[in-house]
Amino acid sequence: MFRRKRSAKDFQAEIEAHLALEADDLKSEGLGADEARWKARREFGNVRAAQERFYLKSRLVWLDKLLRDMRFGIRSLLQSPGFALTAVLTLALGIGANTAVFSVMNAVLLKSLPVGDPQRLVYLRTSDAPRGTGTIDSNLTFSYPVYDALRQQNKGLTPVMAFVPLSGSKVAVRVGTEPEEAEGDMVSGTFFSGLGVSLPLGRGFSQDDETQHAPIAVISYNYWTRRFARDPGVLGKTFYVSAVPMTIVGVAAEGFEGVEDGGSTDFWIPLQNRRELNAWGNPTEDGKLYMADSTWWCLQMIGRLAPGVTRAQAVAQLQPVFQKAAYVGLGSPQAGEMPPILSVVDAKGFRGYDQMYGNPLRILMAMVGLVLLIALANVAMLLMARNAARQREFSLRQALGAGRGELLRQLLVESFILVTAGGALAWGFAEMATRLLGQWAQIESSLTPDRTVLLLTLGVLVFAALLFGLAPLRVALAGKAELALKTSAATSNTNAGKSRMGRVTVALQMTMCVVLLVSAGLLLRTLQNLENTPLGMDVDGLVVFGVNPNIPSLPAGRAFYQKLIDKLRVLPGVESVTIAAARLGSGSSYNNSMMVDGRLPDVANGASQAVRSNVVGPGFFHTLGVPILSGRDFADSDTASSPHVGIINEEFAKRFLSGVNPLGHTIGTDDGQYTMTVVGVVKDHKYRSIDEEPIPMAWYEYAQIPIIGPMHVEMRVHGDPLAILPAAQKVVQQIDSNLPLIRPITQRAQFETTIAHQILFARLAGFFGFLAVVLVATGLYGALAYRVSQRTAEIGVRMAVGAGRGQVVWMILKDSLTLTVGGVVIGVPLAMLVGRALASTLYGITPLDGATYLLAVAGVTVVALVASAIPAGRAASVDPMRALRME
Amino acid sequence: MSTRENNDDRIALLQGTLDLLILRTLLLGSCHGQGVARIIQRQSEEAFLVDHGSLYVALQRLEERKWIRAKWGVSDNNRKARFYSLTPKGREQLIEKIGEWRRLTRAMDMILEPGSGLKGEEA
Repeated sequence: MFRRKRSAKDFQAEIEAHLALEADDLKSEGLGADEARWKARREFGNVRAAQERFYLKSRLVWLDKLLRDMRFGIRSLLQSPGFALTAVLTLALGIGANTAVFSVMNAVLLKSLPVGDPQRLVYLRTSDAPRGTGTIDSNLTFSYPVYDALRQQNKGLTPVMAFVPLSGSKVAVRVGTEPEEAEGDMVSGTFFSGLGVSLPLGRGFSQDDETQHAPIAVISYNYWTRRFARDPGVLGKTFYVSAVPMTIVGVAAEGFEGVEDGGSTDFWIPLQNRRELNAWGNPTEDGKLYMADSTWWCLQMIGRLAPGVTRAQAVAQLQPVFQKAAYVGLGSPQAGEMPPILSVVDAKGFRGYDQMYGNPLRILMAMVGLVLLIALANVAMLLMARNAARQREFSLRQALGAGRGELLRQLLVESFILVTAGGALAWGFAEMATRLLGQWAQIESSLTPDRTVLLLTLGVLVFAALLFGLAPLRVALAGKAELALKTSAATSNTNAGKSRMGRVTVALQMTMCVVLLVSAGLLLRTLQNLENTPLGMDVDGLVVFGVNPNIPSLPAGRAFYQKLIDKLRVLPGVESVTIAAARLGSGSSYNNSMMVDGRLPDVANGASQAVRSNVVGPGFFHTLGVPILSGRDFADSDTASSPHVGIINEEFAKRFLSGVNPLGHTIGTDDGQYTMTVVGVVKDHKYRSIDEEPIPMAWYEYAQIPIIGPMHVEMRVHGDPLAILPAAQKVVQQIDSNLPLIRPITQRAQFETTIAHQILFARLAGFFGFLAVVLVATGLYGALAYRVSQRTAEIGVRMAVGAGRGQVVWMILKDSLTLTVGGVVIGVPLAMLVGRALASTLYGITPLDGATYLLAVAGVTVVALVASAIPAGRAASVDPMRALRME
Repeated sequence: MSTRENNDDRIALLQGTLDLLILRTLLLGSCHGQGVARIIQRQSEEAFLVDHGSLYVALQRLEERKWIRAKWGVSDNNRKARFYSLTPKGREQLIEKIGEWRRLTRAMDMILEPGSGLKGEEA
């Protein structure tokens, strides 16, 4: 049985029964009916008192009192809506900002990969790749023979798993009839078992799947949700990847989105060995796929430490194997060449994120932490001010018999109401902010707040509730009961210690405000510098998209692109069309050294021979709007059968062909296999990203080189660049119905992605700086207004004895200026320290930029003056007679 | 509290003894509140004064502790009344409380009449 509370009515019935029974007894003892009833009642005593005692006994009296306190608290807060609103909004902003940034930080930096025993997973690294190789990244990627050798070693790391994307961006896939794009990786057969990723649906891969290059796929939980609405019938479906049919055999665990940098992988297939599915979607080189090509270091590797083996032991065991395998197919190391060195690094978190967002996020977290401190201090000060103003109310209540405990409960309940309202609003605000953060930062993995985030927020809220409840208690209790009888405002507010604490709080808020303003200023200037960096081309009106056609042979590939360009050129509104193998502004490029006039150029010791190259179509520079300094652009007349031509930039000419006319010189690949004549020199412009420095660059003509693969189409159009896409899509599908447009975007937006996180970071920093200013201003205003109202009598006396309005205003302003000076004196050196920590994220500005500091100091001064102006004005307009009469 | 004048020789109950008396009374069988008050007064030969308000609070308390349970029923003279009866837990409590009471009265006796206490020790 559940314990059911007795109702008061039931109790009353029992008492009535008692009285009736008693009267019956008395009657049987010989009394008259009326007398018996009356006597029974008298015998019982006070019926009401009994009922009341029953009530007190049986109810959750404290709950009753609490509800009463809540009602009272809400009423008294509603009486000062301005205060309540300010406090709740301040809390919501302060706590919400913290929750949002912490959510992102938690998801990106603190959470582990959703794999089994992540502590024992390591990424493999190499100090460098041997000479004569091409890499995706000289530290991260390895050749297939290296992978094969390490995998077969079977000690130290068991297993060693390889993974490689099918494309630098997305790859064409198809489920029904419509082509789509998705991110996919080719992985080892041991990938899922080795990582310890479970498959809620279907199965993972086996070693046999890898060996036999089984045409099967596992999709991510996210992709399953997004594309298939979690349909369990997805297993067994045919999934075309670059037009190769695969069968879906499994769905990976929720939250697992691959081990690639940043992005999230939609599907995985076992390592394949066919032309359409070469690593990175690259064309075959000399007919060789990645598996057969020991010069192409394109695979990344992750391994699990064998039981009982330390990292150092694992590396020591694998080092000789690695150094031998590194030269398989390359011949012996050249004289004086240092062999590459294998190492391992922690893989338990999301490595790419940490690199990209680690520092900015930590700095943001510190900033929102400061904002939170300011917000908490503000609300505490507001509450203290408000409760000091209510001192008479408290005194009166004490005089009427309210215990200290009751006052404390009342204060706690009021603070609880404020904090609950603020917290609820903060959570909503944080949800929104987190989503925006995720979108801006292009973080595709899940950012939904988890338990850690919830706990942190609750912790902050509880702390705030206690702080706000207890801080004003001292003030409330300071006025003893007898104070209610005194009425002088002058005598009831002479607590010097209290106002000193208020002053210190305001000064500290100023300090934090200076720090926040300086950081925000530095970052906003960085953003400005980045946005105003000339790209060296005219990006307005340019749109870019990728195509990844199935190319059976070199001539077929060339014919495909020629046809595509011809058809796109004649679309209405199109000014010019060209193609490029590497998309501009995507953060990646082809990097090699190049021969100049038959040999590798001499460079001063330590300088780099590296050249960023690209493979492009006719009219490339004309389409982009890059000025040609001498010579000519590529043209339709440059074909496979015409002489090989190349174009270089200023920096290339300056670095490797200085003092001569570059036109007519021969440049070519570092292996000497392909040469071309320089026919043009173009002005330096941006290739990979906005913040890159000028670097030697060279361009090949796509129709002339012996290799062809996926390309990006650049179109210059009149009007809205994106409006051309439906027409372009139609053209592409007329040629091949399997082809989607891959990541279509305006060229400007594409370049902006390279500074996306700087933009985001700067905007957020600016926002938090602004928030801090607003909070400090409201806090200061509140504190000053309160102080002025407390000093009304004093001011009245001063004015009565002859003080002018100016003197009174100056008295108030001086007060806040003193606080500002204090805040600035501590704030500036602190800001310099923070600026130093920011140095690596700044662009085109030093951490000690004088103007920024001056602006920040000016900013807080203005805030202080503005916040003081209204109270000062009010003080000056005090009518001495009325002020004195109020006493 | 009751404001009744207390000029007769009835004794106000000691704190805590009411529970014991109620439990003891209910040992005889289930009974309603008024009956319990009557029985206590009768059995103490009218020496104890049972404040009825306190009685019901005590009944309520015992019920919450699950020492007694209550059920609405009909009295001998056909009146609706709430009948209380002892639970097994209440029975245990009664035995314990009686023990406690015995120890208390013995200790009180030893202090109030030291001679008899000592004699008792010697015997």
